Amino acid sequence: MFFPSLFDVIVVGGGHAGTEAALAAARMGNKTLLLTHNIETLGQMSCNPAIGGIGKGHLVKEIDALGGVMAAATDEGGIQFRILNSSKGPAVRATRAQADRSLYKQAIRRRLENQPNLWLFQQAVDDFTLSGDQITGVVTQLGVRFEAHAVVLTAGTFLAGLVHVGQSSYQAGRAGDPPAISLAHRLRELNLPVGRLKTGTPPRIDGRSLDYSVMTEQPGDDPAPMFSYLGSSNQHPQQVSCWITYTNERTHDIIRNGLDRSPLYTGVIEGVGPRYCPSIEDKIMRFADKDNHQIFVEPEGLSTHEIYPNGISTSLPFDVQYALVRSMRGFENAHITRPGYAIEYDYFDPRGLKSTLETKAIKGLFFAGQINGTTGYEEAGAQGLLAGINAGLFAAGKEGWSLGRDQAYLGVMVDDLITRGVSEPYRMFTSRAEYRLLLREDNADLRLTEIGRELGVVDDERWALFSTKRDAVALEKERLKSTWVNPRMVDVASAERVLGQAMEREYTLLDLLRRPQVSYQALLTLPGAGNGVFDPRVAEQVEIQAKYQGYIERQQEEIERHHHYEALHLPPDTDYSKVHGLSIEVKQKLAQYRPETLGQAARLSGVTPAAISLLLVYLKRNQGRTEKKSA
Amino acid sequence: MLQKGMAKTDTIAAVATAPGRGGIGVVRISGYQLSELVLHLLGKPLRPRFASLKKFLDIDGSVIDEGIALYFPAPNSFTGEDVLELQGHGGNAVMQRLLKRCLNLGVRLAEPGEFTKRAFLNDKLDLAQAESVADLIDAASEEAAKSAVRSLQGEFSNAVHEVVERLIHLRMLVEASIDFPDEDIDFLEAADALGKLSGVREQLQQLQNRAKQGCLLREGVHVVLVGQPNVGKSSLLNLLAGDEVAIVTAIAGTTRDTVREEIEIKGVPFHIIDTAGLRDTSCEVEQIGIARTWAAVDKASLALLLLDSREGMTSSDEAILARLPENLPVMQIFNKIDLLPREAGIEFDAGVKRIFVSAKSGAGMDLLRENLLEVAGWEQTGEGAFMARERHLRALDGAGACLRNAENNWRQLEFFAEELKLAQNELNSITGAFGADDLLGEIFSRFCIGK
Repeated sequence: MFFPSLFDVIVVGGGHAGTEAALAAARMGNKTLLLTHNIETLGQMSCNPAIGGIGKGHLVKEIDALGGVMAAATDEGGIQFRILNSSKGPAVRATRAQADRSLYKQAIRRRLENQPNLWLFQQAVDDFTLSGDQITGVVTQLGVRFEAHAVVLTAGTFLAGLVHVGQSSYQAGRAGDPPAISLAHRLRELNLPVGRLKTGTPPRIDGRSLDYSVMTEQPGDDPAPMFSYLGSSNQHPQQVSCWITYTNERTHDIIRNGLDRSPLYTGVIEGVGPRYCPSIEDKIMRFADKDNHQIFVEPEGLSTHEIYPNGISTSLPFDVQYALVRSMRGFENAHITRPGYAIEYDYFDPRGLKSTLETKAIKGLFFAGQINGTTGYEEAGAQGLLAGINAGLFAAGKEGWSLGRDQAYLGVMVDDLITRGVSEPYRMFTSRAEYRLLLREDNADLRLTEIGRELGVVDDERWALFSTKRDAVALEKERLKSTWVNPRMVDVASAERVLGQAMEREYTLLDLLRRPQVSYQALLTLPGAGNGVFDPRVAEQVEIQAKYQGYIERQQEEIERHHHYEALHLPPDTDYSKVHGLSIEVKQKLAQYRPETLGQAARLSGVTPAAISLLLVYLKRNQGRTEKKSA
Repeated sequence: MLQKGMAKTDTIAAVATAPGRGGIGVVRISGYQLSELVLHLLGKPLRPRFASLKKFLDIDGSVIDEGIALYFPAPNSFTGEDVLELQGHGGNAVMQRLLKRCLNLGVRLAEPGEFTKRAFLNDKLDLAQAESVADLIDAASEEAAKSAVRSLQGEFSNAVHEVVERLIHLRMLVEASIDFPDEDIDFLEAADALGKLSGVREQLQQLQNRAKQGCLLREGVHVVLVGQPNVGKSSLLNLLAGDEVAIVTAIAGTTRDTVREEIEIKGVPFHIIDTAGLRDTSCEVEQIGIARTWAAVDKASLALLLLDSREGMTSSDEAILARLPENLPVMQIFNKIDLLPREAGIEFDAGVKRIFVSAKSGAGMDLLRENLLEVAGWEQTGEGAFMARERHLRALDGAGACLRNAENNWRQLEFFAEELKLAQNELNSITGAFGADDLLGEIFSRFCIGK
């Protein structure tokens, strides 16, 4: 049947990308439909029960700053919070939380069900409907046809998913869920460039069968940090610890003896797995000289005994899994509740996407999450948010929106994906961001919330809180900048206590705060320093901005230097074969990936600065011709 | 849109004439707001589109060359931007010095074909000419690539790659400890990051020294001659130069201006700057000369302090020594041994070299020349002498500066990491791109990372 009402945006998939996409589109006022094969698994964490970490935490804060839900849901579902790299500088500090799977899921579900403009419907999607190269809707398994202006596809690992345990394999979306076979076939017919990736999970264990007394306890931070800018610690449920144990030589022997039945080492698995998240069999083969590996024993939740042994992801046969698990200290009597497995799935070469995550081939069709070759809830959620916003803009006939590499980790990720493609599941790291010192967790709101407000995804409550903070930071910085202290006001003892030395001349408070050893709180104790701000987040921001000032200015200069050709638009119908002087390789690359801007073109591998000059000349010449014609 | 974009371009410079010892050499500069540059370089503003005979001034006010300066304000110029053309006496050394002076004033070396590209983008070339612009960029970048390859052959290239590899290794440790703090190894503590950094710095310093030596053959060494009035500086200079360049009289304070002479010792050009007598004086003209001397001292890589053997080191000489820049190597030359019963020779005292000569008889002059070569860093072996191009040298200097900052910031890991990355970016311009993905690749191949 034809579903009688027309939607602005349809989101296919209810994972981390899909839920953020649907919520963002609906927040903007678009009539939005979220289609999922199972409403019970909305917001499901299929892999380890944790959110955040280095680079990933940055993404979660950015999602939050743009009104997304991942951070808020983590505050409600998080059972162990830590700030990683807390001894290092603010730019590389990141928040990470263990989450109770079911609390997290509930938090997401509640938000979805209460979001105005958002409809949920449980049906697998089998097909798309197109009109020319424009998407018009989707068809579900039962043949229901939904129509919409824009469609966001967030299929995760479900596209032609194939699960491996030992030498047996079966088709699945993840363990326990059916794969999307028809949809995968349909997408392959559309001639979108498709590839195959692999990921895996460890066996799950019944925590009651473990001996924690021989493991190392890893408690969360006290006080527990918050993820959302709107969060408060009384949202946190009961906090628990993680535990650490190790593999040993016996574990490694067991694995080595089982390799002849490993789908990974017998060539059954074709997909490429991530190097930073290798299976335990990979670790042992590639780093043969290491005699133990660290395993994090992570609780799955407060209402379950299941634990997630992070570090022994494996697709070895079950009998090998059983033996290897029981060889580890504290795991001698472990009972496996679910076997570990590897899963292969289809992804689409993200170089086929625009910076809005719209496919270049089909207008109005957006891809987000693992379908684009990424891994991780945070990467998926951030893309979902961007795709959802752009689907909403598209439906309203407005121009798309994207973020620069200098604005957000989300911008870095999308640019990496669409210019470099992926050769393994893509995960965020801070080292991917050339403007790392600018892109911090602490200033994600200052970077993005105003943009989010303009786009219509930031609600009044967040906006009011943000505006207050932003203004307070500006005011206090101004005060520090215009308040002078001099050696006559500041006695030697105070100066030595706060500054480590006597003052030799007059300084502004801001100058003094820029010194590495001077903290904001200490600065305020100087005679004449006046009253500072009480809000610790405002104080923190003022201090960081002062300490980072020199580096921030330098990075900003660099951004401006690159700016003038970065945004220069390359018309999608550019005939690269006619660009004089380009090598055949560069012509082919440009024709294949059709970068949207000169900046994107410059980041394609193999495109030289000389090629960019030639492109610039070509663009200019064509512009001249068009002007002549129209004149 | 294009014009708007181009309006923010930086200023570029290049030698516009073919390299070699031509009669005339031209340095062309294009950009916006060149008037300040003109003031620094020529001392006075230029009248647009008039050929003016000008002295091209170095940073210390000394004259690099004298020639014709032409100024074309935007938009009526070759590139459509402000263009300055300096026509000097051809020859590599002069052109390179002039170019270097421009670079020190904040101008960037032009990319191959960049002037023509700017001309084209600013509508200075018609459509028919546009085809040839593409050809030119193509050919010029190919040519540049070839010469870069030539200058990167052999030992220099190996040495740069060695530095880059050590830097990558250090960055791998730093970035791994930032991005993977939950791993059970502390990458940095275990690996002595600071020790590794000083290793890289040392190696880069050696490379810079050797690369500079390659350039010495082309650009020469600046040596400043200082000493009390009438101690024989001009005579010594005349003897080294083999020509009467400075006025020599017996009246103290005769030399009122710095006088430059170029001599060649074993093929290495030495730019020797004779100085006005360094004494307190009320004579206005003499004061100006003295001020110039101190400016010349600042840019020299070696100072020769000339002393009268009969008097030895006096308090006035000590005062001169104290005023020299701290890092400037000083060689003490005791002149007028012909008036004493003393042989030409060399003495070492607490690391200071003393050479005894007679500018009158010429005794000890060969010894002086040999020592000049040695102090200038010239090694007889010659194996370290490679002709690194200016670009490469600047990249090495840039990397060196970043590594110095890294050392100063080692307690703040993210700043430390930032400086190391910037250092690598500089070196990448020599050895080719090395991006975030490459670095992650190094980390993953080296460490077992991941849960």
